[in-house]
Amino acid sequence: MDPSATPPRSESRRPAAITALAIRKQYGHVEALRGVSLSVGLGEIVALVGDNGAGKSTLMKIMCGAISPDAGEVVLGNDVPVVAGRFNAAEQGVGVVYQDLALAPHLTVLENVYLGHEVLRTDRPRWLGLLDRRAMALEAQAALQRLAIRLPTVRVPVSLLSGGQRQAVAIARAVKWARRVVLLDEPTASLGTRQADIVMNLIRNVAQQGFGVLLISHDMERLARVADRIVVMRRGTIVAEFPGASATLAQIVEAMLGGAPRLADPRAGAPAA
Amino acid sequence: MTVDATADLTDQEQDDALALPANWQPRTAGAALSIFGVDVVAVLIFSALSHFVFLTRQSLSNIALDGSESVLLCIGSAFLLGAGELDISIGANVILSSVVGGKTMAAFGSPLAASLIGACACVFCGVAVGAFNAAVVTRLRVTSFITTLASLGIVTGIAYVLTNGYNISDVPLGLQSYFGVAKLGGLLPYPALLAFAFAVAAWFVVYRTRFGLHTLALGSSREAAVRAGINVRGRLMALFMLAGGSAGVCGFIDLSRYASTNLSGHQTDALAAIAGAVIGGTNLFGGRISIGGAVFGALLAVILQDGLVVVGLAAFYQLIAVGIVLITAVSLREFTQSGDSSTPLSSRLMGLLLGHA
Repeated sequence: MDPSATPPRSESRRPAAITALAIRKQYGHVEALRGVSLSVGLGEIVALVGDNGAGKSTLMKIMCGAISPDAGEVVLGNDVPVVAGRFNAAEQGVGVVYQDLALAPHLTVLENVYLGHEVLRTDRPRWLGLLDRRAMALEAQAALQRLAIRLPTVRVPVSLLSGGQRQAVAIARAVKWARRVVLLDEPTASLGTRQADIVMNLIRNVAQQGFGVLLISHDMERLARVADRIVVMRRGTIVAEFPGASATLAQIVEAMLGGAPRLADPRAGAPAA
Repeated sequence: MTVDATADLTDQEQDDALALPANWQPRTAGAALSIFGVDVVAVLIFSALSHFVFLTRQSLSNIALDGSESVLLCIGSAFLLGAGELDISIGANVILSSVVGGKTMAAFGSPLAASLIGACACVFCGVAVGAFNAAVVTRLRVTSFITTLASLGIVTGIAYVLTNGYNISDVPLGLQSYFGVAKLGGLLPYPALLAFAFAVAAWFVVYRTRFGLHTLALGSSREAAVRAGINVRGRLMALFMLAGGSAGVCGFIDLSRYASTNLSGHQTDALAAIAGAVIGGTNLFGGRISIGGAVFGALLAVILQDGLVVVGLAAFYQLIAVGIVLITAVSLREFTQSGDSSTPLSSRLMGLLLGHA
């Protein structure tokens, strides 16, 4: 990909999976987001980088419907608006992998994948709430296999898995219930080198399944390997964007810390001074 | 930093990185089985010490009868513990339920009607106390420890106010002779059959149903349960009502065994129920329930009590023995079950007392 051919705006050239339009969010006097527009295309991996307090997490929470913006809107696909509310993300087809993963350690992989979406046996009265573990195990195994995650069994408690395996289970769960988009917050933050590599490969597999992927990470080196676009945020605005393949660490850091803005998208608001 | 070597790992490398720990075993009934073994050994020791008086049909069926109430309470507690909550008011709830049931029975002339409606009143009262606890925990956000500590006092107080401190003994005598002390085939006490049926149903609920899975999820990670969209308030309400209901059934068994309420009893029931559940393998901090373990843990306390009497020691030693067994069982489990939880014991205790963040 020729970097000069890429327009310097946070917009995907693929069919949009999710689009945030002119998002503003204020906490007290702090303007967390000052009119941010960002879209993630289907099958595309977009990395959101920036210093602490740049507004990455706020943007991600708004995009998954966990909090509502003061202004602007989030649209799934071309037309379905994301409405804020605690459980809306999953219901609207946005998969989210939180930094703490939100896995229940005592429950097995299959129970975690299906928690809140249990399959009940159809040959018994529904009011009994009898679990169809067999069906869930087969489906959970298939969901892991689609992402090339290898676990000997889905009937192992999550507490016995390694950090990378837990991350993989959390991602597989998000993908299983997502329809278009998966958002990930710091997926490699607590992992060792090899496990982090595996998880990044996994994220690439997710995009190859056709999902739009938006991830927050500080792991610049690995980001550059997997991301199609690296979007840099600073003080509540998008200040730069690089094609993943051609970005250099120096360029990204310069943008994060306040070098010359490379973004001229009017919808992104005034570049931070 | 450009696209250099892609981080594609070989299959072997991935398998190594994702391999399960060597000590992995599927979730089993290990704790229940081991405590069952302890029960058997205890029975055999007491039998040997008592010239096998302890191994007679009479003695074993007494254990079943004496154990029926504690089995019920242990199972009720196991459900709550599994969900990361506890109820220390269930002993008081047993008393109040028997008082309400006894008062109801006294209001009816026909023994049959008095027994049936009285039984319903016991269970209803137990469930109502559970619902009260749940309402305080979920609406006022008071931790279950503080809530049920308070309701322990409130419920005991109400029982005394209702009775002026005098036991109620207007219980139909037929209830005692046909249920309370009656035995199926001269061997199986009816209250024990009731407790057994309750245990089978509880086992089924924990391991086979969505309700059981949600209960474990609540105790394993409250945050994960919330994010998964589980109706936390509804589930907690049902769980406290279930534990309260088990206390209500105990109140009914109490009335039918002794044809009277027992205002001064049940002081240690709640703690004994928690101890029995934990000895049996239920996790004090949630996430794991063993129904079989709760049954055998409850029976162990009864075996110790009856056995000590049979060998001529004061039954008071039973309290000491149960305490020692509790410490032994839990410390053994802490040592053998690594990887069960990465959180230190102290912070889990704080979480239990102060509530989930």
